[in-house]
Amino acid sequence: MHSKQEHKLKVFWLQGLTCNGNAHSFLNLDYLGELLEKTEFLQHPLLPSKYALSEMAECKTGCDVLIFEGAYDPSLKRAGVFVDKILRHYAKNAKYIIAVGTCASFGGIFKATSPQTNSGILFNEAEKNGPLQEYNAKIINLSGCPVHPEWLGFTLNMIIDRRKIVLDEEHRPQELYSSLVHHGCTRNEYFEWKVDANHFGEKEGCLFYKQGCRAPMTHGSCNTILWNGVNSKTRSGTPCFGCTESDFPRTNLFETKTNMSIPADAPVGVPKRAYLTVTGIAKTFHIKRLEEPLIDYKNNT
Amino acid sequence: MITKTILEQIEGEASLYFDMKGNIVDFVTIAFPHFRGMEKMLEGKNAMDALVITPRVCGICGHSHLLASVRAIEDAYKNSDSVVEITNKAAKVREITLVLEIIQNHLKWIYLVLVPHLRELSESEELLNTPLKGAYGASFATKILAIFAGQWPHSSYMVPGGITSDFTYVDLTKAKSHLQKLTEYFEAETLGASVEEFLSFESCKDFAPLESDFAKIEQLLIDLEMHKKGHAKDTFLSIGIHEFSHAAKVKGTKLFKVASKYVETQDAYAPDEKSYAKNALYKNQFYETGPLARCMAKEFKLIKNMHRRFKDSAYTRVMARIYETAYLLGFCKKLLDEINISEASCRETIPLKNISGTGEGVVEAPRGPLIHRVQIKEGIIKSYEIITPTQYNIASATKENPSPAQQAMLHCSQADAKFIFRTFDVCSVCTTH
Ligand code: SF4
Ligand code: SF4
Repeated sequence: MHSKQEHKLKVFWLQGLTCNGNAHSFLNLDYLGELLEKTEFLQHPLLPSKYALSEMAECKTGCDVLIFEGAYDPSLKRAGVFVDKILRHYAKNAKYIIAVGTCASFGGIFKATSPQTNSGILFNEAEKNGPLQEYNAKIINLSGCPVHPEWLGFTLNMIIDRRKIVLDEEHRPQELYSSLVHHGCTRNEYFEWKVDANHFGEKEGCLFYKQGCRAPMTHGSCNTILWNGVNSKTRSGTPCFGCTESDFPRTNLFETKTNMSIPADAPVGVPKRAYLTVTGIAKTFHIKRLEEPLIDYKNNT
Repeated sequence: MITKTILEQIEGEASLYFDMKGNIVDFVTIAFPHFRGMEKMLEGKNAMDALVITPRVCGICGHSHLLASVRAIEDAYKNSDSVVEITNKAAKVREITLVLEIIQNHLKWIYLVLVPHLRELSESEELLNTPLKGAYGASFATKILAIFAGQWPHSSYMVPGGITSDFTYVDLTKAKSHLQKLTEYFEAETLGASVEEFLSFESCKDFAPLESDFAKIEQLLIDLEMHKKGHAKDTFLSIGIHEFSHAAKVKGTKLFKVASKYVETQDAYAPDEKSYAKNALYKNQFYETGPLARCMAKEFKLIKNMHRRFKDSAYTRVMARIYETAYLLGFCKKLLDEINISEASCRETIPLKNISGTGEGVVEAPRGPLIHRVQIKEGIIKSYEIITPTQYNIASATKENPSPAQQAMLHCSQADAKFIFRTFDVCSVCTTH
């Protein structure tokens, strides 16, 4: 009989150029304790680990799953060794390589700082020409800035349970990224009837028309698998900035680019003409209920 | 001979160059090797974009960066004759979420940094390694934070004029209930006393009856003589304006006025390796920042008492961080009770493209004062400067005028010095934004 110890998934969490946000996001996972029963961190930047980073950097051992956080920067060293060398050594024998966060997936924020040299590990923005091409088949991208803890929790559990993870063209699990972030937002009714939020700080209105919400163009499950188990950006009145997509970070993040006062980008898969027609029609109706405050605290306290 | 050690698990890494005299540390220089270039990246961008970019300076205190950013932009509004006044409600909620970020930081520090390194140094099995206590407590704090801010890490819910969130009584009730649970958890798992009782303590003698993680930590620190080691400069700085803190410069126990305009940076002195960190000084002098500085500026009895006996030792520094956690839990409850939900979340401001001028935002982040300075022209960022707390504490200067951490590591063993280094709660990513 094998001891439980031997069955544990051996995970190495390596960092490129990062803010540490993915490592911290992961600590918010509700079932972290249960997951840690089934995994053994050879090295993690925050959690107690079997080895020090300097020991891992000697490249003498291997892991089942290599997690990479942060942008790939060819000149970067960790524990005195080029990250490129450490990354390639562990990538070779790992069963899966998980790029956590948008930096590791596409380049993200820390590509924007050095665009000529930095990238994700498999993708460089939308181009699939990152440094780890030869390991294409085993790379899973969990984009998001940062990664949602449950997205990583799901992926590790699927690997532990030896289930197949179905990926999209950008190597993201379909279970997490097949729908748009718009799906499940509490402002959906306002979106349908094209009622925009007048300004920030109101629970009424949709943020798509003026405030720059990218959720209809963004793949992810922020509004169905809630953040920290309780909320999302759009529910709390902040536009989605499209942080799971390869073009993050865009510019003018709090503004919607419009054409004749209609958003210039239509929701994913919706033909522009169809969107324009529906918008034109919806705008001719005035739904009084949607134009009034939902709750009138001010006159009732 | 100078020997190099790379320290990990400090939100990144740092290189320490020890100059030893026998087994005793004679001097240390510190280098932060990773460059990221956040300030440059902001130039030419719409100033509002700073609210999305700057939280990404740091995965553990991004919310502090958000507040510093929004304060800097609002200050620029003010300096171009368009004062932005936020409601009491928005001010309170901004404060609540900041305080919760500090609490999660401290809880993680206690269980993911302090406990394992205390165990290692003391070779004691007395204190159990329970990282999940830290992670669990912290995730509770961030859950409450997310009720208002949408998510943690990396929220952008503060905007000029207030906050984006228009929460309900349902949300508020949930937040209060979660806070209650978090407080009870901290009392049971860490303190071994109620927060109220703990905050009423006036001297270390009051700890005697406690049997808890806190009591074990305290005892181990004394066993290791950390009350006699790790003394920094005995000068403290707290600059951010908040309800929970008091802005002051403290020398020994004397309080003086402060003004952020006296904060300047200089290149680090790191002769053995290129460091991307800059030193931060106040009127050309080094000060310690963070929980101990804030506790001294607030003149909390217990911490002042410890300071009277043990000065700014490693012991006092650690105790101040735990004390502040308890204090902030109580403070957060008070703030939640004071919210008037019928006030506006956000007041309308004139469009940012009409704003040209400079602005500064100062915030007490988990590790001390965080400053953002922005220059805006017609809504576009001309320049952006970020000065983080670790730049004061872990500055690397010459032997003649050492920084707080350099001073604190002198004249002890290398093992002690590394532990003492960590008592400053070092954040590498912030330092090399
Ligand atoms: S605010 Fe954004 S996510 Fe919500 S309904 Fe509007 S477009 Fe969709
Ligand atoms: S709502 Fe949008 S910006 Fe926010 S985490 Fe989700 S994908 Fe990223």
